[in-house]
Amino acid sequence: MIRFFLLQNRQGKTRLSKWYIPPPTPHNGSGTSETEKLRIESEVHRLVTARDKKYTNFIEYNNYKLIYRRYAGLFFTIAVDLADNELSYLETIHLFVELLDSYFSNVCELDIVFNFNKVYSILDEYMLAGEIEETSKREILERVKLLEKME
Amino acid sequence: MSLKLRDLIRKVRACKTAAEERAVIAKESAMIRTAIREEQSHFRHRNVAKLLFMHMLGYPTHFGQLECMKLIASPHFPEKRIGYLGMMLLLSEEADVLMLSTNALKNDLTSSNRFVSGLALCAIGNLATADMSRDLAPEVDKHLKSSQPYLRKKACLAMARCLTKCPEMVEDFVDRVVTLLKDRSHGVLISVIQLMTQVLIVEQKSVLENPDYEDDYGTPCQDAFVKLVPSLVKLMRNVTGGGYAANDAGGATDIFLQVHILALLRLLGAGNEQASEEMNDVLAQVATNTETSKNAGNAILYECVQTIMAVEADDGLRVLAVNILGRFLLNRDNNIRYVALNTLSKCVVDEKNRRAEDDLVATGDDDESANNAASALQKHRTTIVDCLKDPDVTIRQRALELIYHLVNSENVESLTAELLNYLVLCPRDHRGDICTRVLRVVEKYSPNDRWRVDTLITMLTIAGRETSRQVQSASIIYISRASEDLRAYATHKLIKAIRDDDGSQRGLLVVGVWCIGEYGDLLLSPYSNNEESFSAIDTNSILETLEEVIGRHTCTEDIKRVALTAFTKLSERFANSGDTATLGKLQELVKKNSKSQTLELQLRSCEYDALINAMKGIKVASAPASDDIFGATAGGDETLSEAVIAAAKEALARMPVVDLRVMNRQKSSAYADDDMIGGLDTKPAAPAQKKNDDLLDLEDIFGGGAPAAPQPAASSNDALTNGSAPAPAPASDMDLLSDIFSAPAATPAAPATGMSMNGGASYDPFGSMPSSQPQQPPSNPLDAFAPTPTPAPLPTTTAPAPAVDDIFGAPAPAPAPKQNPVVQGPSHEGLSIEFECTKPEALSRAKSTLIAKFKNSNSAAIHGLSLQVAVPKYVTLEMKPPSSTTVAPSGGNSSAQVTQSITVTNTKLGQKNLMLKVKLGFTLNGAKVEHMATVSGFPAGEY
Repeated sequence: MIRFFLLQNRQGKTRLSKWYIPPPTPHNGSGTSETEKLRIESEVHRLVTARDKKYTNFIEYNNYKLIYRRYAGLFFTIAVDLADNELSYLETIHLFVELLDSYFSNVCELDIVFNFNKVYSILDEYMLAGEIEETSKREILERVKLLEKME
Repeated sequence: MSLKLRDLIRKVRACKTAAEERAVIAKESAMIRTAIREEQSHFRHRNVAKLLFMHMLGYPTHFGQLECMKLIASPHFPEKRIGYLGMMLLLSEEADVLMLSTNALKNDLTSSNRFVSGLALCAIGNLATADMSRDLAPEVDKHLKSSQPYLRKKACLAMARCLTKCPEMVEDFVDRVVTLLKDRSHGVLISVIQLMTQVLIVEQKSVLENPDYEDDYGTPCQDAFVKLVPSLVKLMRNVTGGGYAANDAGGATDIFLQVHILALLRLLGAGNEQASEEMNDVLAQVATNTETSKNAGNAILYECVQTIMAVEADDGLRVLAVNILGRFLLNRDNNIRYVALNTLSKCVVDEKNRRAEDDLVATGDDDESANNAASALQKHRTTIVDCLKDPDVTIRQRALELIYHLVNSENVESLTAELLNYLVLCPRDHRGDICTRVLRVVEKYSPNDRWRVDTLITMLTIAGRETSRQVQSASIIYISRASEDLRAYATHKLIKAIRDDDGSQRGLLVVGVWCIGEYGDLLLSPYSNNEESFSAIDTNSILETLEEVIGRHTCTEDIKRVALTAFTKLSERFANSGDTATLGKLQELVKKNSKSQTLELQLRSCEYDALINAMKGIKVASAPASDDIFGATAGGDETLSEAVIAAAKEALARMPVVDLRVMNRQKSSAYADDDMIGGLDTKPAAPAQKKNDDLLDLEDIFGGGAPAAPQPAASSNDALTNGSAPAPAPASDMDLLSDIFSAPAATPAAPATGMSMNGGASYDPFGSMPSSQPQQPPSNPLDAFAPTPTPAPLPTTTAPAPAVDDIFGAPAPAPAPKQNPVVQGPSHEGLSIEFECTKPEALSRAKSTLIAKFKNSNSAAIHGLSLQVAVPKYVTLEMKPPSSTTVAPSGGNSSAQVTQSITVTNTKLGQKNLMLKVKLGFTLNGAKVEHMATVSGFPAGEY
């Protein structure tokens, strides 16, 4: 099951962050779940950017696993349970990128920055409750376009 | 004037510094707050959108939470949409505000607009709390039956969330799930399979966490879903046959659906023969037919392999699975090699467990099957070893982990060689760990002593700097246990290694210097075997080597300590060579430290000097340091008796072979390392404790018949006596004790000296086995400390048996008028329990009080003691807390005994006997220990 989905650029700016299981609030009361999220996000960025290209795309982190993939200057990271299938989550990331690519026709970071709400709605049609909801690209994109038409 | 979202983003992007950005955001959030306060509803959704952007940048946005709620309630779809988006991002399930949305969600779920219901389902799936799940589950359930696949799939996953939050609702929805599996829509299928997986995981977790769960609730999901295995298999065939070609991703047919079905089959097949049988064919089909050129295909294969290993698959399939992983290892993609290594490690561990279980059942067949997969695994050994050369550390670590598991007695030589090769290359901070692991491998599988010693020395040469003390001490022990021939070989090899080294391999130096000291005489003659030969080394160059070692400024104190002992021992080893110059030099070297700043070195130096002198028969009277120790009762004697000389020689002689049994016990105690390497470390702060443990070791060796020692103070000396010469008859023992007491001045210093003497002679910390001592000196070595015997027996020496019990920590039974029966409880890891049974009330015979007495025969204290007791239904139980949760090592002080009182009432007294099931938990040396046992044997009819 997916714990969170992150999209960050190389400088560490978060472009998308979706939490399906919120992080536990620190016991010493030093912060809320929100600050904890920020902390984890910056830590993930630090871990992911430091890795060599030759290395695996998996990092064991706390009691879960990070699966990341880099597309140009953007890092897509999914945190999943330790027992989950790493290879299939790599495909999950790739499918999401393909979705963005066909929606924005040749996506770039700026598209994501200015249309972040649309990116979220694509994600919501793709995943729900930490699980994959639909894997057909055509189906997802049609859905998102229909939703847009209603506005 | 409200800024557009687009403009805000532009403005933020135009900021050159972080401070500028903060200013822009601060201004904007002030505007938004004002807008919220003034209830400007027409800008509400724009404001929330801006808040979302700010939230993503990491700025506080909590004040916008209520705005989201208001938007959700709005009748306009665009506002609703942004409201839901905001809710899912700005709120987490812990937010109290979330409760307010329950009603709005309920309304939207019943909306006729499928997109509105879809939004609500989405929000439930991502956010629902346990309370919300309970309230909204019926509405979600309605959508499971919806005519729209779009809503059915969303409802499936929303339901998965609700059921994970409230597992007790599971039963009501099992039937619905079963019908959904027949659904024709692909999205619904993948969702429902994930729902089933989630629900099963939740159920299994509840069963694991709560043993009663299964009795109370049963396993409805497991039971219902297992029946669906044939339909799942059919579905799987359909998918692999290209039934859903529209969903191809990454070049494989519908990877996600396949992966999820396989994962679900894994949960259903584990431990279920019939279900495993049903899925056998389809697993084989997937394993053989999947395209492996793309990552997606490998993802399916990987999932399939995991399923095969987890279910009760037949041998052929298991071998196939291992071979697939073997093929993964040859892949150029690191990700694939990583998962292969990971899975193989898991398999090895599982196989081992399986085997252990099979051994319990003891059927030959199963044993063979375990071998099959394991032997298939061994075939890929070289590939795994190759992974050690990978640039990626994670791969190397995984491979290393796997190699440890793969070692067996057949391949230990080649694999250890690989491990040593890797040791040279690996990062420094991993070396210590690898050394410890190699030691474990070597201990367990070594084909012969020579190989073992060779490997250990090579390891010390490579990584002596990083080795732990445990490794060093083990090396010494293995050398000392080996044959004389091997000792010569090892010592020759070590001195060569020391000469070649730059002095930074600390571990090598410690072991080497110790061996040179102990077996220095063996260096004087040449050594050769089939492969290697070493020429003889003369005494002078041995000394030079040692001097060079301690002369380096990098030389640490523990090496100096070992070297000092080595010099002392060498003066005994070389005594017969007649080389007076060398002997003189040796004593000089020992004396050199008599003014050392370090107390330990100074103490040793003085003591050793005195010992060497004693060996030569020279009496030292002038040195004040030795005066305390030796001179107390020495009056005006100018020469030493033969006995003293013999004792001194004995003290410096070759140490006896260490008893492995005792060593293993000692290994668990933190002291062991220190004592071994520090060799002569004396710890006056805790002498009593240490002595006691030596005593206990002795007690073991003598089979319980430990020599009498009337009180703790004496016991320490007694230990010493036993360490170097066992007291055969109680009579001589008594003499000896009276000797000690007749020289009270010597007593305080004696433990310290005693320890050093002992250490030099026999490494007492290991509880040397006295029976292995070749000859027993005619007179007692203790005479060296108290040469003038005074025949004044102290009253305590004649104390009867109970006092002896005291010292060995056995609970001294209180002198009760009536002897209470004592029932022996379980004993585990050195902790043993006795139950003393009493009847507290004369009138009620059914009621009895058991006093549990804990006894710790370890050298370290036991912490966090907990005793749990279960009784049969006809017995009622009442327990008091234990008198302490820390059990000190038993011995000297019986007042510190830990007891716990348990009151039991046997309602079927006379018909049935009392029985207890006890669970012991405690922490020993930082490790948690648990033990369960049954206690019976209470006197029949009375308890």
